Amino acid sequence: MENDKSNEELRVGVFVCHCGTNIGGFVDVPSVAEYAKTLPGVVFAMDNLYTCAEDGLAAIKNAIKEHKLNRVVVASCTPRTHAPLFQATVEEAGLNKYLFTFVNIREHCSWVHMKEKEKATEKARDLVRMGVARVKLLSPQEEPRIPVEKSALVIGGGVAGMTAAHSLAKMGFPVHLVEKEKELGGFVRNLNNLYVTTKDATETIMPLIEKVKSHPNIKVYLNSKVSNVHGFIGNFDVKIKPNDKDEEVEHKVGSIIVATGAIEYTKEALYGYNVYKNVVTLTEFEIMCKNKTLPKVKNVAFIQCAGSRGQDVSYCSRICCNVAIKNAINIVDNYDNLLGIAEQTGKAVEEVPVEPKAPTEVLERRRRRSSRGRGREDEEVAEEVKRGPGERIEVTIFNRDIMSYGIAHELYFNKAREKRVRFVRYKPDRRPEVIMDGDKLMIKYFHETLAVEREMPVDLVILSTPLIAQPDAEDISRLLKVPCGQDGFFLEAHVKLRPVDFATDGVFVCGTARGPADITESIEQAEAAASRAATPLAAGYVQAEAIMAHVDQEICSGCGTCIDVCPYGAITKNEEGLAEVVAAACKGCGCCGASCPENAISMTNYTDEQLMAEALAALKEAI
Amino acid sequence: MAEDFEPKIVGFLCNWCSYAGADLCGVSRYQYPTNIRVVRVMCSTRISPHMVLRILREGADGVILGGCHIGDCHYISGNYYTERRFEMMEKMIELAGLEPERIRLEWVSASEGERFSKVVSDFVSQIKKLGPSPVRNKPEVAKKLEGAENASKSFRMKALVSKEYNLLTKENVYEEMLDPERLRNLIEQAANDEYERSLILTLTQDKSLSVKDLSKIIDVPTDRVLEHIVALRQKNLIAMEHPDGFTPTYHAIIIGGE
Amino acid sequence: MVIGGGIAGIQASLDLADKGIPVHLVEKSPSIGGRMAQLDKTFPTNDCSICILAPKMADCFGHPNINVMTYSEVKEVSGKAGDFTVKILKKSRFVDETKCTGCCECIEKCPTKVPNEWEQNLGVRRAIYIPFMQAVPRVVTIDRDVCRKLTEDKCGVCAKVCKREAIDYEMKDQEGEINVSAIVVATGYDLWDPSVAPEYGYGKYPNVFTAMEYERMINAAGPTGGHIKRRSDGEHPKKMAFIQCVGSRNPQMGHPYCCAVCCMFSVKESMLAREHYDDIESTIFYKDLRTCSKNFYEYTERARNDYGVRTINSDGTVKENPENKNPIVVYDVGGRPVEEEFDIVVLASTLIPRKDAADMAKMLGIKADEWGFYTSPDRVMNPGETNVSGIFVAGYCAGPADIPESVAQGSGVAAKAFEVLAGSER
Ligand SMILES: Cc1cc2nc3c(=O)[nH]c(=O)nc-3n(C[C@H](O)[C@H](O)[C@H](O)COP(=O)(O)OP(=O)(O)OC[C@H]3O[C@@H](n4cnc5c(N)ncnc54)[C@H](O)[C@@H]3O)c2cc1C
Ligand SMILES: Cc1cc2nc3c(=O)[nH]c(=O)nc-3n(C[C@H](O)[C@H](O)[C@H](O)COP(=O)(O)OP(=O)(O)OC[C@H]3O[C@@H](n4cnc5c(N)ncnc54)[C@H](O)[C@@H]3O)c2cc1C
Ligand code: SF4
Ligand code: SF4
Ligand code: FES
Repeated sequence: MENDKSNEELRVGVFVCHCGTNIGGFVDVPSVAEYAKTLPGVVFAMDNLYTCAEDGLAAIKNAIKEHKLNRVVVASCTPRTHAPLFQATVEEAGLNKYLFTFVNIREHCSWVHMKEKEKATEKARDLVRMGVARVKLLSPQEEPRIPVEKSALVIGGGVAGMTAAHSLAKMGFPVHLVEKEKELGGFVRNLNNLYVTTKDATETIMPLIEKVKSHPNIKVYLNSKVSNVHGFIGNFDVKIKPNDKDEEVEHKVGSIIVATGAIEYTKEALYGYNVYKNVVTLTEFEIMCKNKTLPKVKNVAFIQCAGSRGQDVSYCSRICCNVAIKNAINIVDNYDNLLGIAEQTGKAVEEVPVEPKAPTEVLERRRRRSSRGRGREDEEVAEEVKRGPGERIEVTIFNRDIMSYGIAHELYFNKAREKRVRFVRYKPDRRPEVIMDGDKLMIKYFHETLAVEREMPVDLVILSTPLIAQPDAEDISRLLKVPCGQDGFFLEAHVKLRPVDFATDGVFVCGTARGPADITESIEQAEAAASRAATPLAAGYVQAEAIMAHVDQEICSGCGTCIDVCPYGAITKNEEGLAEVVAAACKGCGCCGASCPENAISMTNYTDEQLMAEALAALKEAI
Repeated sequence: MAEDFEPKIVGFLCNWCSYAGADLCGVSRYQYPTNIRVVRVMCSTRISPHMVLRILREGADGVILGGCHIGDCHYISGNYYTERRFEMMEKMIELAGLEPERIRLEWVSASEGERFSKVVSDFVSQIKKLGPSPVRNKPEVAKKLEGAENASKSFRMKALVSKEYNLLTKENVYEEMLDPERLRNLIEQAANDEYERSLILTLTQDKSLSVKDLSKIIDVPTDRVLEHIVALRQKNLIAMEHPDGFTPTYHAIIIGGE
Repeated sequence: MVIGGGIAGIQASLDLADKGIPVHLVEKSPSIGGRMAQLDKTFPTNDCSICILAPKMADCFGHPNINVMTYSEVKEVSGKAGDFTVKILKKSRFVDETKCTGCCECIEKCPTKVPNEWEQNLGVRRAIYIPFMQAVPRVVTIDRDVCRKLTEDKCGVCAKVCKREAIDYEMKDQEGEINVSAIVVATGYDLWDPSVAPEYGYGKYPNVFTAMEYERMINAAGPTGGHIKRRSDGEHPKKMAFIQCVGSRNPQMGHPYCCAVCCMFSVKESMLAREHYDDIESTIFYKDLRTCSKNFYEYTERARNDYGVRTINSDGTVKENPENKNPIVVYDVGGRPVEEEFDIVVLASTLIPRKDAADMAKMLGIKADEWGFYTSPDRVMNPGETNVSGIFVAGYCAGPADIPESVAQGSGVAAKAFEVLAGSER
């Protein structure tokens, strides 16, 4: 940060703008320019009708050349819109753009003091003096360009991860795709069909899996996890470790996408889960459909928001209403068929036993059990359940609000209603209860409209439990220094405008790792994450602004305060245990500077001295 | 106070919300008094307490800080720290014997143009009511402010204030959150200590003073002054002299050029 | 090329431009920003909409790779992916964009006042106008339909006051052709006019508002300076009702779909009311309170618990108390109708595709559903793609989406467009 012009004589030029009558009408602009000439260091000052117009800009360029100006102050409108224009202008005249200062005498002066010309003029003079005080302390800055490794890492091989990887690959970037399981596909492998279509889930994603596997730009690491990550945007060193071996592979990548998905929530005894037979979760039910291991049923009940929306987790899981509707329609339309196939293949079960297991394991167990033959026979229950051919299955969905947002879902919801699926609303203070009356599974509920307590027999209870964050999300969070929200899902940089970015540059998130979402939404996010991740790769470099923190290693004691406060994780400790700013990651907020107990951090272009000079010039005539 | 007193007020506004709000205020032509001079910073979190104290010491009648509303900071969490630091500034100003109302922190969003004009008008009239800063005619206040300024730059204060937010919101290594009340007290105590010590150093820079003298000027019991002096001597920041044989006096050790 | 400069279009443009791809952004209105620029605060964080949008607008406009064409329309498209030829009509503003500095002096002097559509006609604007203060580009436009100079050859005052001589009554519309490799359509939505449904009394009872009118009213930079005012007497209301699904989820009205943002924005608006005035009580009448994205449910719980927002699960229709012009909401409790008087009623009327969406679809050859939202042939696995290769859709025009979804889709189609370009290079 050497000031290479420090020995040179300071030659400040001041340009005061009338902005038509916008400033000129309320501030005596020529007198301000005259005043500027009296300030130490100022060798040239002029007023312009429109400084930002072509002629005004030309005047600046000429003056820089003619009067050998090495500092420029423009007093006109707001830097928030016009700074880039003037910076570009001084650059064209061969002056570093950081040697320019903007003074706002329109929005902050003439327009807000329209009835006090004299005082406004005095203020404008003060503001110009402040700008001159500041500009004299500025030094030229280079905007560091940091080269970028043109490849990416995608963690998680579900639809989101695969889509992101495939998109990046198609753009021409090498991608490392890491999946902890033996297969690609993620959660969708558990599912039967996909809502709004009748398509088979695995079949739907098969083409994507094939494309990912066969794309020359994608290297898939199955059965592996990311074990170590170091570095910053454009330059991450990552280590990938197979689950069963100790040897790690190392790669350098420019961007990282997190697409680790989510799992289904279960809890013992939640509505009789794992206490009574024939109480299953949505996923378990989907697996049963898929594997054709269904029991005979006549009455089915779904309980929505089981465990979510304030019961155990605070949020709404977004997809379960529509998944329940999908399955309700399947049951009404197609159950006999599925069950028929199940019976033919000898997979059908009499009842779903109590068995607390993770989805895939449940699946394995059930398959083994059914191939061993039928479980206990319970004649009476079997009697109960018997239906004549073609007799409908009654489906009731206990819900709080049906979240069939948008077009397709709402139409699907209507279809379910047409098919006489019953929707019964409950309030959180009066949830339905699943009870066992002797040998019969019953649901006790409160009918809101009729205001009466009711009971109904059911053969199968399906719990719509929420998606929850992966148990190892915390590990990834630590590894990549990216935050998880209160709900356990990864937290994006900005809820609205940066939905797939992390605050940490170069790291992105998509799919259910970010929060409950369906396949389409996960794919949209994945494409978005691919786009965001590709930006630095396509550019080949990242350009940092020169407004940035700088640690004086002579003074730093390595206390680490700055590391704690930096919202972007832009400060790391070097080998000597002293703080170091990662230029590519620093955004220049200055929090570390104000925090450093040793006062070791200075902010380029906003140093303490520069700010103080500007502020103190407001108080005193002399500088 | 004189009717025609025109206070000098310095404002620091963050680029993203409060400066933008001030811009909108201008664009919408909401009028306010001319007393404020604005310095633009990228984020309100940039402003160190010692800067504000210095500006007051140099004779500003008031300082106003503007930031984004909590939760809206462009740099995610910057303004939480601003809020903490602001509390420290108020505390320090009070210790130095100045009205804490001379500084103000306001959150102004980029759409609150009208509000910006109200905030400024209100602050100006508040400062007018307080009258000119006593710094202008009472040198001892300036000395005290200098003490406060140095105290706010001290390792202990900066570390504590910076860590306060994290200590309160994140679990520490023992997976417990600090009781906010306890932390406040800790910081309050540290502020007092650091202020008094810095002031002792500031006062003894020009001439040697005895414990009694110091106690009188700072308005602190002699035993506390002595405690501070012991602490300062351990850090080799102050030296003892025996000018007339028995009453020891002390003077600050000035290290290096400045 | 990106058509539509709302948040989805801006995001798509920025994402492509940052990858070094030249982008032409064609926006029909005088400023980019779209609907989001009209909103006050945004759910679920209640941060100010224009505050977070304005920097993006400025970035977009100032980006060296983005050519922003405002007040322009696409007239004709031919060719195929990798090589489209697009005919563009740049409408005359009658103001030289390079000269106008946005000082707005001319506006003050213009004698012609017309209802301000940006403010949902709650205020007036002049014939020479800037849609909103933060407009990008910040230049004025003359409304050719009402300007006295252009219609009757009288007045001409704006040209006299403009010191920059930016005003040019002779300026002509221009047509041009551009070659592009891929096209992103992000034209957003229109607001459905609830006056066609008499049961809500909109247009008949003065104190019935639409949600967008309300957004403008509560905006500090809006026509009432951030004050909620009754249309009948200018009083500030104490008791407000929000009615959901006005026109949506309603096959009779022709919109059986759910607009996916109304529940949340009504919850937001009821909270904002409380933030402005302590004494306002709000009630939301809903069918289902669809609060199903990240932090949305928690947000509604906060509205209920901390902001005292009452939620009633029922349809609502509106009558009026003729004496004090108070609207009366008729709703349903356990099957019986109940009437309750309010000071104002805000209708969450549904959102529909742009009026010209069908023309656009025809021009581009892309398919739309029966309501006019653009559809993808493989909705599940390839959202954002259309039946025409090289043409992509994002934001509300491709079906209901809130801001985060629109942004994600904007970035997403940028990826797809970039894939096309990267593919064609090889
Ligand atoms: C019961 C149920 C029914 C559903 N029905 C539908 C439907 O009909 N239609 C629809 O659109 N959506 C449906 N969904 C939603 C759909 O399953 C999700 O949207 C989709 O699976 C999200 O994909 P993803 O890639 O984000 O996550 P996932 O599919 O969960 O994939 C994440 C992948 O990351 C891997 N992973 C996790 N951690 C690590 C790690 N540390 N290292 C490496 N790899 C890791 C996992 O093994 C997994 O393969 C349903 C969901 C449920 C629960
Ligand atoms: C009252 C209300 C409140 C809301 N509140 C929120 C909220 O708090 N949070 C939230 O997330 N969402 C909210 N929304 C939803 C939000 O407005 C939309 O999700 C978002 O604006 C969609 O952005 P877009 O870019 O798709 O469309 P738009 O913002 O509509 O942008 C489309 C752009 O395309 C231009 N255009 C149209 N046709 C053409 C053409 N033929 N040629 C060229 N250009 C064209 C338009 O002029 C416009 O600039 C709210 C909506 C309403 C109605
Ligand atoms: S806060 Fe200051 S002293 Fe502490 S590590 Fe950071 S730079 Fe070094
Ligand atoms: S200036 Fe801000 S972003 Fe940069 S290192 Fe310091 S705290 Fe981090
Ligand atoms: S950017 Fe405004 S307070 Fe941080």
